[in-house]
Amino acid sequence: MTVRARSDGPGAIRRVLFGAWVTACVAAALFPIFVLVMVSVAPGAALFGERPALIVTAPTFRFWRAVVEGGDLWAPLVKSLTVAVLTTIGALAVAAPGAYAIAKLPVAARRGVVVSLLVTRMFPELTIGVSVATRFAQLGLTDTYWGLALAHVTGVLPFIAWILVGAFEAIPSDVEAAASIDGASRLATLRRVVLPMTAPALAVAALFAWLYSWNEFLYARLLTTSQNTLPLQVFQAIDRGTRQQMAAVAVALVIPILGIVAVLQRHLRPGALAGAIRG
Amino acid sequence: MSDRATPSRPGSLLGPGAAWIRAHTLEVALAAPLVGYLLLLTAAPIVETVRLSLSAPLDGGFPSLGRYRALLASDLFRAALRNTVIVALLSLVLEIGLGLLVALTLHRRFPLRGLVRTLVLMPLGVPTVVSAAVMLLVFSRAGYLNGLLLAAADGLALIGVHWRFEPVGWTVAGGWRTLFTVAVADTWKVLPVVSLILLAGLQAIPEEVEEAAKVDGATGWGRARHVVLPLLAPYLTVAVILRAIDAFRIFEVALVLAGRVEPVLGTYIWGRYAPPTSDPYTAAAGAVVLFLLILGFVSLYLRLVVGRGEAVA
Repeated sequence: MTVRARSDGPGAIRRVLFGAWVTACVAAALFPIFVLVMVSVAPGAALFGERPALIVTAPTFRFWRAVVEGGDLWAPLVKSLTVAVLTTIGALAVAAPGAYAIAKLPVAARRGVVVSLLVTRMFPELTIGVSVATRFAQLGLTDTYWGLALAHVTGVLPFIAWILVGAFEAIPSDVEAAASIDGASRLATLRRVVLPMTAPALAVAALFAWLYSWNEFLYARLLTTSQNTLPLQVFQAIDRGTRQQMAAVAVALVIPILGIVAVLQRHLRPGALAGAIRG
Repeated sequence: MSDRATPSRPGSLLGPGAAWIRAHTLEVALAAPLVGYLLLLTAAPIVETVRLSLSAPLDGGFPSLGRYRALLASDLFRAALRNTVIVALLSLVLEIGLGLLVALTLHRRFPLRGLVRTLVLMPLGVPTVVSAAVMLLVFSRAGYLNGLLLAAADGLALIGVHWRFEPVGWTVAGGWRTLFTVAVADTWKVLPVVSLILLAGLQAIPEEVEEAAKVDGATGWGRARHVVLPLLAPYLTVAVILRAIDAFRIFEVALVLAGRVEPVLGTYIWGRYAPPTSDPYTAAAGAVVLFLLILGFVSLYLRLVVGRGEAVA
């Protein structure tokens, strides 16, 4: 298993094989998305018969029109976006300061905290969700953006706190000491020294929080009685809609995210995850 | 300012703690929201669930193991437990194996690597429900997989091999076919995350280490086994643990793809809550069993594979 491509030896065959393998990887990653797009524009007849057509020759936008005009897209899109943004802000606001404090604990205590964070994640979200939903119902938070965002923050906290503890730990204590000798207050040190140094990890945490909320199904299901989020809309379409409607809603849910991932993954340097691993 | 400027008398035990808090006011204030949030919205629900699981009125109230006994006696629950273990292990093998291959591939230098990386990581953002919806299209009776297999049968016929392929609806067939569908849907969606974690591990290996191994005459395979793998181990452990936690808790994908055919623990618990059953006590007991299953697997993995004292988390 060579780690860098070699140019010597019987390289030609190897290079062809490697190229084929890379192509297969890309195809496997993208094929399901391709299927969704194709099915969303497939005329009804194309989906019957033994073999589905790989390329739809006579695309129809009938189902897209039905989905858009039926209001199945816009309102859920707005709800999903709003809740995802609220969740990202809320999760970072709670997790970042907490993680900073945890990183200052003695090693043993820190390890204990991190392990217990991980253990809470092992508990099925389903029952936590039901319990949280019952409480939120009493507080009148069912069916509100705030309620769902609060629930989503619950879901992401352990993981992003875990990533961030690793990032804050990596800052040498001398750096902060130097800033305080230079006369900076602790809060100023946090803002001008610590935050910029942990920016990459904060960005990764924000991305994860956003993705979590955008994808989340369970809390949304438990805390929604009237206005669906997009994942709920997909589920409803699986349950009741035609295959094409399901595919159209799914594509609507996937497209924005592919754009975001394509742009952000450049910055999503694997190294930013490394903090969590050393944690 | 404080009412306890000097360590107080009853405070041989409390004193140092109070002093520590005073010295770390900022940290305590910073941690308070996180701690409060976790206590209120994670720890409390967990305690509540455990209490519920032990206090079904049917069994004569708290404390009673009645629900757990009922679970073990239930065929549906046993099927769900078995299926959960199968799906989780299958997903783990697929995800870690393929993730490692993809990470090794992306770690090499080749033309268009940046583009390939972007494309391969695309499913990172695909919602779980969507990955289930897609697999519904791929694995249905008139789906793309059957189409591919039929084409393969035709191809084989051309070279004189006769293989009769009967199309089946994979998701509704039950048994290994349905469980396989669930594992594939999960794998497709999470492979990018696993690959990223392992890629981080590969990139953390200093190039000199590998150069040195090469100079010492280690073959490609030898380097992989004795140099790369040990250095990658912490990252593998993180990937395995993170994935195991979610693979055992699999829910949406199983709900959509295996629904009424093959239960897993996630959908079983959901079914207990849902109206026809509406039994939060049994649901709670099922959740506790699932939690113990995950905890057991992770502990076992750490003990057997990582060895003692080397825990990564």
